[in-house]
Amino acid sequence: MRYQRWFTPWVLVIPALTWLLVFNLWPSINTVILSFTNAKPLGGGTFVGLKNFETLLHDEQLRWALLNSVIYMVVCLPFLTIIPLLLAVLVEKKLPGITFFRTAFYTPVVASAVVVALIWQWILDDRGLVNGLAEKLGVISGPLPFLSDQWLLLLSAISLTIWKGLGYYMIIYLAALGNVGRELHEAAAVDGANALRRFVHITIPGVRGTMILISILISVSALRVFSELFILSGGKGGPGGRDNSVVMLIQQYSQGFEGNLGYASALSIVLFFVTVVPMLVLARLNRRGAEA
Amino acid sequence: MRTRRSALVALLAASALTLAGCGLGSSDSSGDGGAKPTVGADAQVTGAVSLQTWALKPKFTSYVEGVIKAFEAKYPGTKVTWLDQPGDGYDKKVLSQASAGDLPDVVNLPPDFALPLAKQNLLLDVAAADPKIKDEYVEGGVAAYQYQGLNGTFGYPWYLNTDIDYWNSDKFAAAGLDAKNPPKTFDELFAAAKVMHDKTGGKEYLMSRLPGIGDFTNAGVKILSDDGKKFTFNTPEAAALLDKYREAYKAGYLPRDILTQEYLGNSKLFTQSKVAWTTGGGNAIQDFTKDNPSLKGKIVPSPALDTPPLYVQGLSVSAKTKNQAAAIALARFVTNAENQAAFAKIVNIFPSTKASASDPYFSKSDGTPESDAKVLAFESLAKAKVLTPPIISGATNDFIGQQISLAISGKITSQAALDAAVTKANQLLTQ
Repeated sequence: MRYQRWFTPWVLVIPALTWLLVFNLWPSINTVILSFTNAKPLGGGTFVGLKNFETLLHDEQLRWALLNSVIYMVVCLPFLTIIPLLLAVLVEKKLPGITFFRTAFYTPVVASAVVVALIWQWILDDRGLVNGLAEKLGVISGPLPFLSDQWLLLLSAISLTIWKGLGYYMIIYLAALGNVGRELHEAAAVDGANALRRFVHITIPGVRGTMILISILISVSALRVFSELFILSGGKGGPGGRDNSVVMLIQQYSQGFEGNLGYASALSIVLFFVTVVPMLVLARLNRRGAEA
Repeated sequence: MRTRRSALVALLAASALTLAGCGLGSSDSSGDGGAKPTVGADAQVTGAVSLQTWALKPKFTSYVEGVIKAFEAKYPGTKVTWLDQPGDGYDKKVLSQASAGDLPDVVNLPPDFALPLAKQNLLLDVAAADPKIKDEYVEGGVAAYQYQGLNGTFGYPWYLNTDIDYWNSDKFAAAGLDAKNPPKTFDELFAAAKVMHDKTGGKEYLMSRLPGIGDFTNAGVKILSDDGKKFTFNTPEAAALLDKYREAYKAGYLPRDILTQEYLGNSKLFTQSKVAWTTGGGNAIQDFTKDNPSLKGKIVPSPALDTPPLYVQGLSVSAKTKNQAAAIALARFVTNAENQAAFAKIVNIFPSTKASASDPYFSKSDGTPESDAKVLAFESLAKAKVLTPPIISGATNDFIGQQISLAISGKITSQAALDAAVTKANQLLTQ
């Protein structure tokens, strides 16, 4: 007796397919369509050809946003790829009280991004903890403008992202470290390899695939950064709007009664391509490494 | 292979364009006509009508319910459904209602919210159905709902407010200044800021705000062209004003974090006794002393330095209402002199009706600083104006603010900042 019909697989796939079409595919297609229009939340929506993309080319805010995103990625990538691995190696050891350290490193991950950014705001304020402490110790004569200088604000946001991301990537590395054969370490130790050599020649190659994955995740999230910069800059992109990220620009242009949905869509397409590039580069590196 | 790929690209492009044509059929319907009512002032008022207010529950529930009851009693056969929206995200709520064609019949909209809706013919020109509006409401209030390029009045002014100045007498005394004789011009303000900085070793601040469009208007700078199609505020006068702020900032007369836009705001810093001057409505003095009782007896109010700003709230009528007569009657009833005066006695706002001008409640002080402030604000309303044109959208305002920050921080010249702001504002206006 056969209960299966030719359409059975399609019936099973329909819920997921509907979800994909409605919430992924259609919004993506609509974004592309909108990027060629002057659509606004109320009215508009006439075809304007490549006008939005021409405007993008001369948009100084976008140039700063792209620069910020690239700096964000370049700084975050090494820190968030290497430090979590070192932390994972440290907390992997079965020592008394190690759970406390694992929890401590992971706590920032579960904390709300908004709460964390607000805490950092208090810490970095002109009259905040860092400036207060540094002034008391006589390291600085006046407060450092962490939140009012373009570059210090960007650096502060990057530091926040790194601090908050350490625990998350550490957990991924911890899982990957479990797959690195203990016997390899033991054999190397017998052969006289010290901890550093074992780390370089056994641990790193063992977690190489995870490292590439983490690099891609970091690159994508760094290029799409929003919360940290938004909150530390009060939502306005810092002095002169030079600490905007591309996502912040999309949010700024699309909000309100006069929101420019066409231009915001064009920005989304730029962000899409900017995000795809490092993914492709890293994927290619991974393939080459695997072939070598 | 190449042919097949080209054909695929062409097909995708054609599909995208077709979809663009299908999905975005609604064109910009802005014009100079505005939506006109189809009923006159004498039409019969009956049936159901909805009223949307902004954050009046629960504090003013009994007042609003009383007004609704009185309306239903005056017009038998009417039934008012009252919706009150929370304070946060009201613009988003109204936007979603307008997009869905679901705007309540009578809706509380400030002039800058009403403008984009009026441009899309979503609001009725109430003056067309009710020509007496100009005789019964103050000129500034009615003018706030009349827009360049649009013909009509798109709301009844409901209640008004303005700003006066507040000074901290303790901080003035510490700097050897007299709060009872505060600065009366911006030049005097900058001079007093310098004295306060110098006398307190830079520990106390008088000023803590960045200039904005309102300050340019006050400096006599023309913000918009006569036809409302171009911004024109990149003038040497505006640059000179920015230069003054830049010099003051450089000299340390302003707190440094004002540039982050993350600073608490003039009024909060004043409440925390961190600055000696702020602007605020006639009722702000009560909030200052409630939030910081140590300020009691130390706040001296005075009139605004220049033309005071006029803040207007109004009731607009949806063009899609199915009951125009009842909707117009309700908007007029809620905003009539009697109801506004009653409202103004339970909350510190001022009526927009001409008949309220002679009410001694607003024009006579009982000698307390709170009452002095209220009377000062009421008197200021006579010369108050809308200083920031409602056509300036959120994104435009943000960009202007960013350029002003750059100029004040000294990163670019004031003129360059203004030129960039005007270019961007014009671009956003025409997009």
